[in-house]
Amino acid sequence: MEREHVESSNIESIGYDSDNQTLEIAFLNGSIYQYFDVPEHIHQEMMDADSQGKYLAHQIKGHYRYSKV
Amino acid sequence: MMNDDTYLGSVQDVNGTTVSVSISKDSLTGFIYIDGQGYRIGQIGSFIRIPIGFVDLFGIISQVGASSVPDSLAQSQPNGNRWMTLQLIGEAQRNGTFQRGISQYPTIGDEVHLVSEKELERIYGQPDKPYFVKLGHIANAESIPALVDVNKLITRHSAIVGTTGSGKSTTVASILNALSDNERYPSARILILDIHGEYAQALHDRAEIFKIGANRTSKYVENELFIPYWALNFDELCEISFGEFANEKDRNIVLERIQKSKEESLKKYSKKGANIDALSVDSPIPFSLNHLWYQLYLETFGTYNKSKGGKPIENLVFDVDSDGVELKGNPISGIPPIFKNVMVDAGVAAADKVNYLPNPLNLGKQLSLLGSKLRIPRYNFIFKPGKWTPDEDGKVEKDLDDLLKGWIGSKKPITILDLSGVPNDILNTIIGIVLRILYEALFWSKDLSQGGRHRPLLIVMEEAHIYLNDSFKGMASKTVQRIVKEGRKYGIGAMIVSQRPSEINSTILSQCGTFFALRLANSTDRGHITGAISDSLESLTSMLPILRTGEAIILGEAVKLPMRTIIEAPPKNRRPDSQDPIVYDEIPEEDSQNTGGWGIKMEDNPKYDELVETWRSQNPTIEKVIK
Repeated sequence: MEREHVESSNIESIGYDSDNQTLEIAFLNGSIYQYFDVPEHIHQEMMDADSQGKYLAHQIKGHYRYSKV
Repeated sequence: MMNDDTYLGSVQDVNGTTVSVSISKDSLTGFIYIDGQGYRIGQIGSFIRIPIGFVDLFGIISQVGASSVPDSLAQSQPNGNRWMTLQLIGEAQRNGTFQRGISQYPTIGDEVHLVSEKELERIYGQPDKPYFVKLGHIANAESIPALVDVNKLITRHSAIVGTTGSGKSTTVASILNALSDNERYPSARILILDIHGEYAQALHDRAEIFKIGANRTSKYVENELFIPYWALNFDELCEISFGEFANEKDRNIVLERIQKSKEESLKKYSKKGANIDALSVDSPIPFSLNHLWYQLYLETFGTYNKSKGGKPIENLVFDVDSDGVELKGNPISGIPPIFKNVMVDAGVAAADKVNYLPNPLNLGKQLSLLGSKLRIPRYNFIFKPGKWTPDEDGKVEKDLDDLLKGWIGSKKPITILDLSGVPNDILNTIIGIVLRILYEALFWSKDLSQGGRHRPLLIVMEEAHIYLNDSFKGMASKTVQRIVKEGRKYGIGAMIVSQRPSEINSTILSQCGTFFALRLANSTDRGHITGAISDSLESLTSMLPILRTGEAIILGEAVKLPMRTIIEAPPKNRRPDSQDPIVYDEIPEEDSQNTGGWGIKMEDNPKYDELVETWRSQNPTIEKVIK
C-alpha cells in the first residue's frame, strides 16, 4: 500500500486502501499497523487534521481493530 | 608509589589466599583524597595493594567489620570491627604489568594500601590492542575502559546471566556490536539462535536473517530458513519424523530403507567426498523421504487381490472415488492411498477377493505421524525445504554447500537464525540439529581457510535454559556439551545467555570460561554461578543481587581480573526488541507510537474469529492484512 508522508511527532506516513477500507499507519519507530474497516471519510479527516497524532489518539485508537504488520 | 595517603592498615593473618587486615586508626575517617579524587575506604569489591619488595600484590576486599576478625583473636577482641578480609588475586612487578596468580605471600605486618584510579589503570588498562574490545567502563572509575580479550572470549566460551530486566539483551547487543565492527574484524563470524525473534531489529544491517515464514514485506531482508531433513542423522530424523519405534526390528527396517535410498541417490548423482562403500545411514545424502514414506505405507496398510499372479505388492487394490478414479494418494503432498476393504467371504468371486498383504510392516503409527507432518505447512521448513527438496531419485537443485554458505559464509558478520516459528515440540531437536550440522562442517574442514580453526565461529544461544535444560536429555544439550568440551580446538565458541542459570546443564555452565553476571536475585541461580566459576572469588557473587541495571561483573579468562562493569548500551536503534507489552503508556496518547494497552478504550466489535484464524493457520498475520 502506498503511504503519504506526514509531519507528526509520532506518525511517519499514512496510507489508505478504499476497496478494503484499510488504513495503514507507519510510526516513526518503524512499526506499521493496519486498521480495518475504517470509512473513507475518517481517512480524509485524518489527513486534513491539524495534528494527525491527536486525530489518531481520539478518533481511531479504541474505535477500530488493527493488526501489526 | 609508597604513599602514606593510601595506607589502610597492616596484614595480621594469612590463610591461603585469604588475608586478614587490621585497619589503621588514621584511615578510619572513611574517606581518603588522592590526586584530588575521593575514595571510600573498605568498599567490598574494591582493590587493595600490598607492596612486598619489588612486587605489588593485589587483592579484593571481601569482608569488612566484626566478622573479619581472625578466629584466634575473636575471643580477645569481641568488638574488633577494625578488620577486613581480602582475597589475593595477582601481582605486578613494580611499574610492570599485572598478572593473575601470586608468587609469594604477604606476611604479618606488611602494609596494605588503597588502589587509586591511576593504579587501577595499571591493572585493567590494556594497550590499545585490536584483540581487546571495549564493552563499557569500570563501575567506579569512568576513565578506565572495560576491555575483554576476544581470543579467550570466543574460544573458551562464555555465559551471560541475569534476571529479566537486568540488561542481558543489551549486554549481548553491546558485545555483538563490538565484535561485528567491520573495520576491526572484517571476517567476524557470529551465529545467533534467536528464539523470540528479538535481534533482527538491532542488527539488521550487519546480519543476514533466516526465518521460517520469512516476511517479504518486512523492513529488512529476510531469508527463508530451511533445514533439509536429509542432512540429519538417523536418530535426529526419526525423532522429528517417525517418532519412537515399537521395537528394534521396525527401526532396522526403516534404517535399511533409508540407507538404500541414499545409496541409490548417490549412485545416480555422485558427490565429491562420498562413496558407496563408506556411506552410512547418517551421511548427508539427499533422498526422497516422501517416496520412502509412500512405499512403506503401501507395505503396511496395503490390500491386494490374490487371483492375479505375481507378487502381492504388485496387485494392490485401491479404493475409487465417485468418479471411478483410484485413490492412490500422493507422496509429494503426503496424501496416503486408500485401499479397498478386505473381502474374503465365501460368496465373493475369486477375482473380487481382497486380502491383507502377507507379512505387512508394523509401522502404522509411525507412518501416520510422518504423513501428517508431510502435510502440515509449519513443518515445511524441514520436509519441503525449498530448493533442497530432493526429487524421487535424490536429485536436488541446491546442495549443502549453499545452505552452509548462507548460514556461516555470507558477506555479513552476523547470521540470525530466527527460530520463533519452530513448533515448540521440536525446538530442542531443531537446535540440536543446527548445532550438529555446524559442528561437523567446521570440525572436518579444520584445515581449510573457511574451516573453524581458521575462521572461528561464535554461536550465541539466547534463552538457553529452554533447550539446555538439565531435566531432559534433549539433543541440543548433548550437542552443546560437545561444543563446550571440544569446540575450542575446532574454532567453535559458545555464548550462553540465560536468566535461569540453575536450569542449565551444569557441565555446560562449568565449561564457560568467561561470565558476564548481571543482577541475579534468585539464590539458587547465584549458587549455580558461584559453583561454576573457578576463581576463589566467590564473595564477588554476593554482590549480584544489588547490581544496577546494565551493570555486570565480568569474570573469567577473557578479563585479567573480575571487573564490575557498566555496560555501554548500544544506540537506541541497535537494541534488541525484547520490550514487554505496555500495559499503560507513559507517553501522552497523542505522541505515543503505541496502539494498545489498558489505557485505551476497547474497540466496539472485537472479532475473535480473526484471533482463532491466526491460531488455526499458525500464522500471526490474518488474511485481511493487505500485503
